[in-house]
Amino acid sequence: MGADLRFDAIVVGGGPAGVAAAITMAKGGLDCVLIERGRFAGAKNLFGGVLYTHALADILPDYWSRQPPFERPVTEQGYWLLSPDSAMRILHKGECYKGEPAAAYTALRARFDPWFAEQAVREGVLVIPKTTVTEVRRDDQGRAIGVATDRPEGEVSAPIVVLAEGVNNLLTQQLGLARGDLPPRYVALAVKEVIGLPSAEIEARFGLAGPQEGVAIDIFGDATLGLPGTAFLYTDTKAVSIGVGLLLEELVHHNLRPYEVLARFKAHPAVRPYLAGGTPLEYGAHLIPEQGYDRMPQLVADGVLVVGDAACMVDALHREGTNLAMTAGRLAGETALEAHREQDFSARALRAYRRRLAESFVLKDLKQYRRMTDLLDSTPDLLGTYVNFINEAAQRYFTAHGIPKREMEAEILGLLRERRSFLGVARDLMRLLRGMRG
Amino acid sequence: MSERKHRPLAPELEASLPRVDVDDLIAPLKYYVDDDHPHLWIKDPAVCTGCTAKPCLAFCPVGVYRLDRRGQVMVGYQACVECGSCRVGCPFLNIGWALPRGGYGIAYKFG
Repeated sequence: MGADLRFDAIVVGGGPAGVAAAITMAKGGLDCVLIERGRFAGAKNLFGGVLYTHALADILPDYWSRQPPFERPVTEQGYWLLSPDSAMRILHKGECYKGEPAAAYTALRARFDPWFAEQAVREGVLVIPKTTVTEVRRDDQGRAIGVATDRPEGEVSAPIVVLAEGVNNLLTQQLGLARGDLPPRYVALAVKEVIGLPSAEIEARFGLAGPQEGVAIDIFGDATLGLPGTAFLYTDTKAVSIGVGLLLEELVHHNLRPYEVLARFKAHPAVRPYLAGGTPLEYGAHLIPEQGYDRMPQLVADGVLVVGDAACMVDALHREGTNLAMTAGRLAGETALEAHREQDFSARALRAYRRRLAESFVLKDLKQYRRMTDLLDSTPDLLGTYVNFINEAAQRYFTAHGIPKREMEAEILGLLRERRSFLGVARDLMRLLRGMRG
Repeated sequence: MSERKHRPLAPELEASLPRVDVDDLIAPLKYYVDDDHPHLWIKDPAVCTGCTAKPCLAFCPVGVYRLDRRGQVMVGYQACVECGSCRVGCPFLNIGWALPRGGYGIAYKFG
């Protein structure tokens, strides 16, 4: 890189948030550079994962004709509640999910993210991979004026820096926008395996009519040893993605090896048949920022906008993240365009980004579910307790014992009372409702 | 913030965890190892000596932290997938954590 590289805007990080911001700015006529530390955009990225197309369509209305490398449309989705030896399955499938393009697709990030970054290149963004940003450069009044990188003479200048650096938001922390590092009780460590299987085999096992159908299942209870966390099983084109995520503090406290929790989950009698004979293609791990609305970093500073995982934009309850990230990136990009029109890059001017977010689903949803993290936090055995109860109750309900149903019902009630007092159940329900309603 | 109530794991749950060789899991991963620049380091080895739990040996998802023959914590940064868990999960915040230089480290093929 030369000594004096000047742009209208710099984006740090080539994930969904950063690329969305870069495309929006380039479409608006800004000279924009995106700096990515991986060998290619997506090299460091991993998610479950389901992508939602609404956010993509807002950025690239013609995205479908650009042939995004999705895996399968999600035509069936829902939950499994696992006890150690049984499973309650609540799944929804329907013709409603079969429109093209679909509302949601499974995807693999080392394939999707390079495609998305390629669209940014087509819109005129300069994408520089293999380059780590080490610092946001500021003038003597603290205003961002560009970034420093690990390349020789690797300084780049711009009046706006969009931080899309991901969950390990070291630059956001360096600027004092986050209160300290990630708190282990509010970040989940997820581990995942991609397991190869022939397409026809996946369709037979999951009851799918062909590659135009796919399943996304989120799994609670025994998958995480009843600890706060979730697991997932998603169908890709020629593979299944299976993983489990637990709050980091739980892993630390219980001295658990995450890959052993995953191996145990894979061996569960309700799960194992779906994976049998598959070829392990890749294992990986990633942190998920689940701090929630009340612990988000500040989103703007003079010349700086923070987007995506770096700003904890994850709705864990609905396994949404990339759509929040893309939407935030787009809104940050629109704010940067406005700042250039007004030639005002102050935090005061950039606060329009936060206002835009507050009017969108991004902050509305995060705000609505602000209490969910604390619900699990204060009642870590909540999931395990109720999931096991539901499974035992179902077994009683579905089995003929030759006893009157009235007695069976009393037995089910007894199963609940063993675990929680009536008052306790009422309190849990109240808190769950409050957590859902916001 | 109140201290979270942790109930210990039931012994039968603990016993139900299978042993896994993490080296088998990471064998297919593609790394570009920066031989000259470890991006993880232990800030003060004495702190690790005084840490009885050493949870990093367990929670690191790729087994970067292992004990040598003398019981000292070794850092196999070459296997790191850059998740960040060790930086924030170490009870003594004793792990130095930087991003690898551009282009180095993990490169997922699926992700």
